[in-house]
Amino acid sequence: MLVLRTLVFGPLHGYGIAKAIRSASDEAFDIEFGSLYPALKRLELKGWLASRWETSESNRRAKFYRLTPAGRKQLAAEHAKWSDFAGAVRRVMGPAPGEAQ
Amino acid sequence: MTWKYLIPRFRRREEADMQEELEALAEIAGRRELGNLALAAENARAVWGWTWIESLAADIRYAMRTLAANPAFTAMAALSLALGIGANTAIYSFTDAALVRSLPVWEPHRLAMLNWRCKDFPKVAHSFSGNNFKDDAGMTSGNFPFPAYEVLRSRSDVFDVLFAFNRAGRLIVQIRGQAEMGTGVYASGRFFSALGAPPAAGRLIDDDDDRPGAPPVVVFSFAYAERRFGVAARAVGQPVLLNNTPFTVIGVAAPGFYGLDNAEIDDIYLPLRLGPLMGESASRYQNSNSYWVQMMGRLRPGVSLAQAQSALAPMFQQFVLGTAANEQERKDLPALLVKDGGSGLETLRHRYSKALYVLTALAGLILLIACANLANLLLARAAARRKEIGMRLSLGAGRMRVVRQLLTESILLASLAGGLGVLFAAWGIHALTRLLANDSDTFTMHAELNWNVLGLALALSFATGLLFGLAPALQATRVDLAAVLKDANAGGPAPRRRWFFGFSMRRMLVVAQMAISVLLLVAAGLFARTLNNLNSVELGFNREHLLLFGINARNAGYKDAALAQFYQGLQTRLNAIPGVRSGTSSNFRLVSQSMSKTSIELDHPLASKEPNTAYMIVGPGFLTTMQIPLLAGREIDARDIATGAKVALVNQKFAKTFFDGENPVGRHFKLGKDEYALDLEIVGLARDTRYSSLKEAIPEIAYFSYTADLSRLYALTYELRAVGDPLALTSAVRRALQDADPRIPLSNLTTQSQTIDATIGQERTFAALCACFAALAVLIACVGLYGMIAYNVARRTGEIGMRMALGAGRGGLVWMIVREALALTAAGLAIGLPIALATSHVVKSFLFEMKPNDPLTLAAAGAILLAVAAAAGYAPAWRASRIDPWAALRHE
Repeated sequence: MLVLRTLVFGPLHGYGIAKAIRSASDEAFDIEFGSLYPALKRLELKGWLASRWETSESNRRAKFYRLTPAGRKQLAAEHAKWSDFAGAVRRVMGPAPGEAQ
Repeated sequence: MTWKYLIPRFRRREEADMQEELEALAEIAGRRELGNLALAAENARAVWGWTWIESLAADIRYAMRTLAANPAFTAMAALSLALGIGANTAIYSFTDAALVRSLPVWEPHRLAMLNWRCKDFPKVAHSFSGNNFKDDAGMTSGNFPFPAYEVLRSRSDVFDVLFAFNRAGRLIVQIRGQAEMGTGVYASGRFFSALGAPPAAGRLIDDDDDRPGAPPVVVFSFAYAERRFGVAARAVGQPVLLNNTPFTVIGVAAPGFYGLDNAEIDDIYLPLRLGPLMGESASRYQNSNSYWVQMMGRLRPGVSLAQAQSALAPMFQQFVLGTAANEQERKDLPALLVKDGGSGLETLRHRYSKALYVLTALAGLILLIACANLANLLLARAAARRKEIGMRLSLGAGRMRVVRQLLTESILLASLAGGLGVLFAAWGIHALTRLLANDSDTFTMHAELNWNVLGLALALSFATGLLFGLAPALQATRVDLAAVLKDANAGGPAPRRRWFFGFSMRRMLVVAQMAISVLLLVAAGLFARTLNNLNSVELGFNREHLLLFGINARNAGYKDAALAQFYQGLQTRLNAIPGVRSGTSSNFRLVSQSMSKTSIELDHPLASKEPNTAYMIVGPGFLTTMQIPLLAGREIDARDIATGAKVALVNQKFAKTFFDGENPVGRHFKLGKDEYALDLEIVGLARDTRYSSLKEAIPEIAYFSYTADLSRLYALTYELRAVGDPLALTSAVRRALQDADPRIPLSNLTTQSQTIDATIGQERTFAALCACFAALAVLIACVGLYGMIAYNVARRTGEIGMRMALGAGRGGLVWMIVREALALTAAGLAIGLPIALATSHVVKSFLFEMKPNDPLTLAAAGAILLAVAAAAGYAPAWRASRIDPWAALRHE
């Protein structure tokens, strides 16, 4: 889901995706490229990502991944599921216990 | 994964693309930033899911290399397994033809066959024509009275169609003056439509053809039409004479349609109600006590056999009850039995099923031996490859990975064997068909390599490869790595795993092979001795140089005196053929499973209440031509035939039973009863001969001339005693017949020897097959034994060298090794012989004049196996005795 989310703003190459996730999460998620890369391939195989060779802003050739319509739909579905879940967790947890005392 | 990745080109393209991408990224980000790229790539490949294809391909390549590197091992293993698979496939193809295959018609599973069952022959059946099959509980038959068919047909909620049919026998089929025989069957109007059989040309019989007085039409089978007309479609509209009665061919059935009986291919289909035209009695369609017509139904969709049974059985019961005239007839009435009709009349099933079960079991044993052999060879090789496997395991190969690789090898080996086995099977089917058919052109069991049979071969190869590769593979990978790698002696001694009484798994396998070989040897011995007993049965006549053929002039239109005259004239022509020493005729052939029996009346009182005798209607000079010694009086000669003298010859048994062994010449007896009785004067006493079969005791036989009662004269078999090869007379015989009357075909031309051999065809087949099977089994088992002993000798080279260095004699060493072979064989005998004793009664019905536990056979089987085992053990022993002790010890 994180991978799909980073690609909403436009196509990125593999390393770009890793960097984007890291910076968007304020370095909280440091995903190793070794794990990210097979995940990209898996998403591509499922048809949620498409890839193409393009030239980057720094004039280097790289393979860029972008969301397919199916990927966008999947992201929406997962996002809804996640916000339901997160909302439920928040309701159960309530305000921070320290403040209540 | 996508299927296109099964093709290497797509995989390579994807792979190159990925490498390029990773390199590009490394340039952007720096290698350290990205971590282990090789691992990332490997994991990505796993995502694509083709690693297993790659490793499978590698396994197969490696397995092929290993197999090719050991040609002797590969050949031995593949060949023995191929023989096993081939034998099973060949036998199964016959089982398939006789027991499994469905009729080649539309939706055969919806066909139901109607039979009846009774405890004994039903008294309510005043006349019966057809087949019945007896078993322990009673008898079964498919022949019904015609009115029963009409009653059952009135019920419409069970069958879409209920149709009827009946054998019409062998017919003379004349087309444009050319006469040949053909097999006919009567079919009711719905016969073809119910079976869903389309015409290949013209139209088929329908209800309008099947009524009394309808214009006489026939349908030909495709093969028969093609044979007689060249092109099948040309038959349509042609006039033909069937037994001299004119018919018109209206159509040809589809190619491949052979009727309902897989034992007899029907050539000609006649409308059922036209029987009277062919000389059948017209009253058979009304008589409720005359059992002859057969029935089959196409079940309505969704109706089961059980439902059909419960719906129809009461109807039939009510019908038969109405036809029983008295208490005796009512006592044991036939009951309806609805059976699956998908495979037709199942004549082949009744004839061959038991024999096929026995052969399947024997072939299965061969496969078992071959499998044991394979397992043994693989075990030996696994032991030899311990070092290689240990090395691979210690380098980090997963155990399952190594097991998989070994299994790939054994399955590849088994597939190779399967392919070879199919070749063996093709040859075996051909040979077996020739053996079973025994030169007879009416043999109809068409075994073939169809998908069903090939599927079995495939399944057998995979199962054997998997089953017998698994144990050795598991054992091979269960190794102590340190020990294996430390051991400088490649393939050094495996830790001996003891099973029972100190027997290792490999020894157990050899013992099992020997035990199975004993079983097959005993079977072969029993059948060979049976055949030998049958061949040495004293016939009482000379079977050599006799040509036999059938002539049916009555079906060609001759009657009574003209018929007798034709037969006499033909005899004169035949006897005049150069190379014919003498000739005669009779109403059937001696020792051909045919017989005629009737009651007789004598002018003096007898012990037996219902005296009866076998008889034979003969032409002039029967005893002379058959070379049956005449013991008293004279024989029936041409003058007797010409004058219609009511004279008879009897055999010794007849004289003994009915005249207390006194000379019967000059006495009279009545053959048959009441108005059919024929008063005969005995003019000669003949020596006893076999009558209908080699296996049956000689009955009382009366021979009387064919002119003594012209109403009994139908077809004749002519017997010609040739000076040389009887079959060399064939063309001269055909010419003589052509001169006498070209409209009459010659049927079933054989020699007397062939006729007799045909009656023991099953015994001959069994003897030949079992001899082959036993030889195969012994061969394979000995290869196994040899392999194991040779392996042990190789393993014990050092020990043997030591023994020799310490002064052991060569003879002692040879004996030490041969003794091991003999001990294993003896263990096999100790297991196999009791099993043979316990199971041989299964084949009792196939034996003749011997007991299933024939001691001579058992002893011979044991002796043969011990001798062959000693030979198999001697070769490696001899090699061991040549070992150079110094070389052997230095190696240590």
